[in-house]
Amino acid sequence: MRKLLSLLLAVTMLVSLMGAAFAEEMTEVGTPRRETLIMETQIPTDTPGQFNPYMQGTSMGFGNHQLLRAMMWEMDTVKGEQFGEIADGFPESNADFTEHIVKIRQGIKWSDGVDLTAKDVVFTMNMIKDTPGIGASAYYNVVFKSIEQVDDYTVKIVTNEPFPRLALRFGVTIWGNDLRVVPEHIYSKVEDVTTFKDSEPVVAGPYTVKSYDPLGNWVLYERREDWQYSSVGVVTGKMPQAKYVLVKALGDDSTRQMMMTSNQVDIMVEVTPEVLETMKAQNPNIAAWYSDFPYATSDDPCSKGISFMMAKAPYNNRDFRWAISFALNFDETTMDIFDGVGRASPIPILTATSAMQELYLKPLKEYMASLEIDLGDGTTAKAYDMDYAKRIGDKLRAEGRDIPTDEAALEDMFGIACYAYNPEAAEKLLIKAGLEKKDGKWYFEGEPFKINMSYLANTEAQAGRGLISAYNQLKQFGLDCNLVSESSATWDSNAALGNYEIGGYWPTGGITKDLYSVINGYDADLIVPVGERGSGQACRWNNARATEIIHELAKISPDDPKSYELGMEFMKIAIDDIPFIGFHSGVKFVPTNSTYWTNYPSAENPYNGPWWWWSCFKYILTEITPAAK
Amino acid sequence: MKFRKYFGLRLVTWALTILIGVTFIFFIPRMFPTDPVENMIGQIQSRSGQMDPQEMAALRKSLRVQFGLEGSLWEQYLAYLWRGLLHFDFGPSLVSFPTPAGEIIATYLPYTLFLSLISTLLAWIIGNAIGLLAGFRKNKRSSKILEGIAICIYPVPYFLVALILQIVFAYLLGWFPLQSNINAMGGTAAYLRSLFRASFLPALSQLLVGTGWWIISMKSLSAATAEEDFVQYARFRGLAERRIGASYVMRNSILTQITALAMSLGGAFNGAIMTEIIFSYPGVGALIQKAILQSDYNMILGCITISIVAISTATLIADLIYPFIDPRIRYS
Amino acid sequence: MKKFWKNANGRLKAGMIITLIFLIIGFVVFYIPHTDPFFNNTYPRKLAPSWEHPLGTTSLGQDIFWLLVEAIHNSLSIGLIVATIGTVAGVLVGLVAGFSGGLTDRILMVITDTFVVIPSLPILVLMTALMRGSSTVILLALVLAMFAWAWPSRQIRSMALSIKERDFIQTAWFSGEGTMQVVVTEILPYALTWSLSNFMNATLNAIASESSLAVLGLSPGNLLSLGNMIQWARDRNAIFAGQWFWIGSPIVATVLLFIGLFLLITGYNDYLQMKRGR
Repeated sequence: MRKLLSLLLAVTMLVSLMGAAFAEEMTEVGTPRRETLIMETQIPTDTPGQFNPYMQGTSMGFGNHQLLRAMMWEMDTVKGEQFGEIADGFPESNADFTEHIVKIRQGIKWSDGVDLTAKDVVFTMNMIKDTPGIGASAYYNVVFKSIEQVDDYTVKIVTNEPFPRLALRFGVTIWGNDLRVVPEHIYSKVEDVTTFKDSEPVVAGPYTVKSYDPLGNWVLYERREDWQYSSVGVVTGKMPQAKYVLVKALGDDSTRQMMMTSNQVDIMVEVTPEVLETMKAQNPNIAAWYSDFPYATSDDPCSKGISFMMAKAPYNNRDFRWAISFALNFDETTMDIFDGVGRASPIPILTATSAMQELYLKPLKEYMASLEIDLGDGTTAKAYDMDYAKRIGDKLRAEGRDIPTDEAALEDMFGIACYAYNPEAAEKLLIKAGLEKKDGKWYFEGEPFKINMSYLANTEAQAGRGLISAYNQLKQFGLDCNLVSESSATWDSNAALGNYEIGGYWPTGGITKDLYSVINGYDADLIVPVGERGSGQACRWNNARATEIIHELAKISPDDPKSYELGMEFMKIAIDDIPFIGFHSGVKFVPTNSTYWTNYPSAENPYNGPWWWWSCFKYILTEITPAAK
Repeated sequence: MKFRKYFGLRLVTWALTILIGVTFIFFIPRMFPTDPVENMIGQIQSRSGQMDPQEMAALRKSLRVQFGLEGSLWEQYLAYLWRGLLHFDFGPSLVSFPTPAGEIIATYLPYTLFLSLISTLLAWIIGNAIGLLAGFRKNKRSSKILEGIAICIYPVPYFLVALILQIVFAYLLGWFPLQSNINAMGGTAAYLRSLFRASFLPALSQLLVGTGWWIISMKSLSAATAEEDFVQYARFRGLAERRIGASYVMRNSILTQITALAMSLGGAFNGAIMTEIIFSYPGVGALIQKAILQSDYNMILGCITISIVAISTATLIADLIYPFIDPRIRYS
Repeated sequence: MKKFWKNANGRLKAGMIITLIFLIIGFVVFYIPHTDPFFNNTYPRKLAPSWEHPLGTTSLGQDIFWLLVEAIHNSLSIGLIVATIGTVAGVLVGLVAGFSGGLTDRILMVITDTFVVIPSLPILVLMTALMRGSSTVILLALVLAMFAWAWPSRQIRSMALSIKERDFIQTAWFSGEGTMQVVVTEILPYALTWSLSNFMNATLNAIASESSLAVLGLSPGNLLSLGNMIQWARDRNAIFAGQWFWIGSPIVATVLLFIGLFLLITGYNDYLQMKRGR
């Protein structure tokens, strides 16, 4: 009897094994696993089946702008340069930058076979301009006088004011852009474009919608049969390798990592280093930008740090802001955030991405090293600590990490400097800024002094952890602080209304050599009183020379050599006046799983950044190839 | 006649319960300084960049109407009762603007009801059966062990039970999906299969925690009943133990448990929320969680209103069934 | 006391011992001078348990033992505050309803029933989500207390109804004592003995609710409670990184505390029954 049983068992096992070997693995949505790239999106959508980019509530990050949409100008994130996607090259403008001729690329077809022409571009831009229900409508009316079709592949744009940065503003620089060209032959027949769901979208990108979850958890995209005529096909001539792309919400952190380690997902958006390290330990196919420590890329163009609301005393006082900087020990901050990983980005506003570090931070090194702050009692203190990279390198090496000793590699990994830690200088500066210390407690204008420090809860670990670390350190230093966690909606409106004192906001950037788009929000003319909603200038930094520079920049072309000089001068002013204390550049742990797909962008093969959630993902897809069986 | 009065009274209580609960959640958000319209404008602005002042004023006005914030507090309250309670219209979802929140909730609510009702009922039946045995045979070793297990599982937090089940059965053993994906695109058979697979672990985790409580309470109830005079009398009369258990002890203790079941539905719903979040089960709990993350107040308000209505209605149904089980009820 | 211990059943004894241990940790050990465990980088990171750090340290360089002690202190405090408010309010409402009867009773009972029936977690979620930024421990306790009074008041009312008919009350009434006096001298002591078990139950519920909120990320960010401790450890992936002491200690503590309180409640109820001559 027992023999028979064991025989039966063996046979069943053999059969099921053979079955597994022969039957092709399928995904839960019924596509062959080896032809399907599964990628994560962060939040399930409440509006399944809604793909119209001009209806509010459409989730663009759910594969919509990464796979379906073509942009006027796309971004080469490695070079930091734009290229025309629908546009053929860059606009040709007249001498005062009010009239612009944009050529349209020939050969792109919509997914229903109709040619994409100037008609579609003109229609889309005018539709935005003329439909008040579309968010960008008001802005388009401010900027554009007219958008007209010259011939099938030429558009003439007239702006109200000189506008030298048409491609930068209406093409992609970071993430994506509001201008997504839609087919005229469909959208012109729709009665109200702001309520049209567009469940079976006709698109110019390389994929179309195959099916979607009515409960909003996933969308399945299929490569166009005529992908050669999609924007990606026409621009590169390369075929996106994955026949299907399944975009999916994965749930909470523990579910996400279990799905990844069990190969049920190929690329994820962003995890914490703790999650990445445990996943790597369980599954050798999982990697991130670097295959070993520090894993993360530091090239995301939004540096994180702490931001001051400068319409209020004493936060409007430069001495006070430097005092806060001296009270913070960056060596502790960096350990608290991501265990020491990340390139320091020790200047306000501009992020130390690799490109920006070469272009701006290294030339500013001398200036930073010699910058001294007057402490008000006849002494001065050095503002920067230029030995940070070496010191943190030694520390992490002592913890058993594999850290290079080469100075250039260290600077690339940890940055050129960090803000100096000097508690005595901090005390003196606080006194200089008008605070008093009695019995170990600080008073300002006779009242006990307390700082409200707010951060965005549940998302953006880097920013949140940084602010909590700062809270921790300022309390230990002796300043009374209150920690305020906020949800996303109150977060945005509190910024705009100026309802904060110190916040973990990140009004930073830096991707192109021309700094105008990063700094134009710091125009002092945009400042509105606290409690009112302005556009830009949440931190209300009032600096006359900085504003002049912004106004000068607005009038010159981004290619003018003067743009770089002005940008440099602006940065020196910002460094000296410290409206923001930068911690790290955007540090992103973006995991990939090479069980089914390989050749993801990485440090060894940096053909692009690991930005699946940006619109340039459709170009990355032409390089991701199936793994050998 | 008496029954009709009982029925009417219960119906009035039901309506009042909903009214009080809904009034309560209408006034809570208005006690806090957060203004949903300002938040909404903030989100629209951060998405689309510049906006001129007139545009903003127009937007603010139209949002105030849509959010039901126009007019005096009293008018707002009446409008809210009228729209929210009678038409389940809670205004647009903030995140999925302009899709109405009620429409989104309607998609997810059936899944929550399905999951929590099934697991609550199962927990009640299994728990009471075990509890009855344990209580009736109080001094048997097996009943002590069962009770011990129940005492140990009952206080474990919901999310923890869910997480452990997920790690063991979905991740290590791979018997069930890690994530509750329900295949609503395929045929009926595929749909039911995926529904079963997706619901099994969430239901099991609620079952484990729920059962513990019923075992404990049923045991002490039936143990007390078993000591009552009429049971002792039945023993003297030489009735079989099994019959005593079934007809005397059970029938008397089960009545208390039915009332308790009706009272426990609210608590079961709390558990459902936590379980749904861990398993990303497509129900109202997960919706609430997402709405919190994105501060979608209309959605939160809608979810809570609907859950209050659903729970009070379930309680009402349990109350109305009660007289059919216990004819002795005095309809009070 | 000695007699009480002798008459106590096994459950009551076990419950008392466990609860007492937690009370000692939370309110005696807590006052032994120590470095504030909330601050990061006080010690080296990720240390294994040792004499110096009985439960090791976290990924942030905090001492887990002292984190746990403070978490127990705070969670117990919240639980006790909530239970006190809830029980006092519940007993008052229940007595008023039970003794006044008529319309007052009806109205109070509908309100009470509402609070028993409506699911508390979504409403707690709504309130804490709105309080984001301004929420403090006291505020949180007050919010939790809103749902702690309804159940005891229902129970006390039905008890009041049955006591009302008993002989000694009637006697007191006849001998000319005022209603207020009757309530205070005769009924309150009786109700209080009974509501002790309710008190413990409310403590338990409050701690459980707080940890649910913490898991949803809605407990105040600077409150060191058992729930938040679990949540922070989860946030740093302690489960999958195998940092068992960090994630495990608050969980084990929560479960033990619950079991202890639960044994105390049931044991105490049995004890009362036995004392009444059963």
